[in-house]
Amino acid sequence: MMGFCADPATVEGVKWWMCYLTTNTHISFYKSFLVVLALLALTAPLAMLLGFAGALARRSGIFPVSLIGHTYTSMVRGVPDIVFFLFIPIAMDQAFELTRHKILCPEVIGPVYQGNDFVVCTAAKLPLSTADAWVHTTYGFFLAAFGFAIVFGAFAANTIDGALSAVPKAQLETAAAYGMTKRQTFWQIHLPQMWGFALPGLSNLWMILVKATPLLFLLGVEDVVYWAGALGKTKTAAYFDYPHGDWRLGYFAMLLVFYLFVTWVSENFLSRMQAKFNTGQATIGGKKLPQGIAR
Amino acid sequence: MASKSARTRAGRKSNGFDDAIPVVHLKDIHKSYGDLEVIKGVELKARAGEVVTLIGSSGSGKSTLLRCANLLEVPQSGEIIFDGNPVHWKVKGSERVPADMNEVRLVRTNLSMVFQQFNLWSHLTILENVTEAPITVLGRSKMEAEQTGRKYLEKVGIVEKCDAYPAQLSGGQQQRAAIARALAMEPHAMLFDEPTSALDPELEAEVVQVIKKLAAEGRTMILVTHDMKLAQDVANHVVFLHQGVIEEQGNPSEVFGNTKSKRLIQFLSATVTA
Ligand SMILES: Nc1ncnc2c1ncn2[C@@H]1O[C@H](COP(=O)(O)OP(=O)(O)O)[C@@H](O)[C@H]1O
Ligand SMILES: [Mg+2]
Repeated sequence: MMGFCADPATVEGVKWWMCYLTTNTHISFYKSFLVVLALLALTAPLAMLLGFAGALARRSGIFPVSLIGHTYTSMVRGVPDIVFFLFIPIAMDQAFELTRHKILCPEVIGPVYQGNDFVVCTAAKLPLSTADAWVHTTYGFFLAAFGFAIVFGAFAANTIDGALSAVPKAQLETAAAYGMTKRQTFWQIHLPQMWGFALPGLSNLWMILVKATPLLFLLGVEDVVYWAGALGKTKTAAYFDYPHGDWRLGYFAMLLVFYLFVTWVSENFLSRMQAKFNTGQATIGGKKLPQGIAR
Repeated sequence: MASKSARTRAGRKSNGFDDAIPVVHLKDIHKSYGDLEVIKGVELKARAGEVVTLIGSSGSGKSTLLRCANLLEVPQSGEIIFDGNPVHWKVKGSERVPADMNEVRLVRTNLSMVFQQFNLWSHLTILENVTEAPITVLGRSKMEAEQTGRKYLEKVGIVEKCDAYPAQLSGGQQQRAAIARALAMEPHAMLFDEPTSALDPELEAEVVQVIKKLAAEGRTMILVTHDMKLAQDVANHVVFLHQGVIEEQGNPSEVFGNTKSKRLIQFLSATVTA
């Protein structure tokens, strides 16, 4: 904070804005944008990983494996997302704590579920109650990211599975005819060609993921929506250094701009990717694709 | 008549003698899909430097027979002998399957196939299409494979399309690229499954020309075609397949000039008027 902000009551005009926009709460607000981006950066690759695992499991010739794949995708896809967003972090938290409880304090006997409460010994707490606040925040954030990844991974699995099936059989058979092993065919032909078919679905999924990030708020992570609401509220001079009226419209407009910007960047990137994959896309009977699609 | 591929087969140059070991030898092949028997005991030989053309109406089993040769289909009975080495079998469930995938790969890498629908890998450029299998399967270096690849692309006349994707080429160009891909494996023999059937007549000629050139070089080929003129021009041996059995075979002048089987006479008159 700048020196002249020491006494907020005396600053005016540009200086007032400079002071106002650099208060600690505003800094938290700015950081929450990074939290959203971090969530996206963590969830997307994790969901892709789960998506691949789910798709390959579903396609596996080994029955139990394909059963697991099918169970995962249909269960997650069938249950409302919000239920999973709420369920997974709590379930994972309790699972971790229960495991630690069993290992770290075996001497404690008696059930962990006492009435409506889930009680583990102090040593099993995650994070430990003595841990810094940032550890708690980070832990909560990671649990939330997992929740997102598991939900979006199931959708990604569906898309990837479909895209793998969409690759023309003749392309794979030709690889076999030229002596490629199953593994070589998968890595050299099947997977690269899958992307062209999966990208529209995955792009869609990414946009839905971007739009779902405010659900972090539901999980107790103080995200952009939380801060925009908090900062925008009317502030009276009696309690606040920088009193102002109801500015929520302005703050939510900032969110609008932020999300539009993320959307714009994503769409640019994704359409470029799509164009790249389309260059080498399917030619059935060698017929050229119409120009509009090929570009 | 000693093509490069023929020369690599130590001492077994094309000599026209019947006792030479065939490059491809299919022996008493039976192939069924469920209850439908598609190939009913067929024997087919292609000796080094020989062009065998396979004719017959649609559904007579020509593609199936060709696909048995490189084991894309596994015949229920009969032998597949490549360069004198029979493929060994084992029983898996109720089916017969090749016992050793290495044997299968050895056949496939030495017996390149050209498909009716070209089947160029759509995500790879023309040059990459031609170098893919030599690099991945034969373990050639990229540089070596590209050198070889360009040589064969030049031979089929589309080396200037190296960096294009299949979708950007005409059908005729794609099929020529597919032939270059087959040649780049430097195989002992080649299989062609109706290579000109998917092409418009004006594009057909450019592919026919390439095939004739390869035949004249003394390459060992089995060619399925609906083009009777091509069949007659390039063949050393013509085989007429009807409902999964060989109805008639022999050298082209005999088969086309002095046709014996009623069915072939019928077939030929139908294709001429068609
Ligand atoms: N994968 C398959 N499953 C079942 N039937 C098949 C299959 N492939 C080919 N057939 C049948 O086998 C017969 C011969 O087909 P094919 O070898 O493609 O004939 P051709 O190439 O001479 O036109 C046809 O009746 C066809 O329907
Ligand atoms: Mg056919």
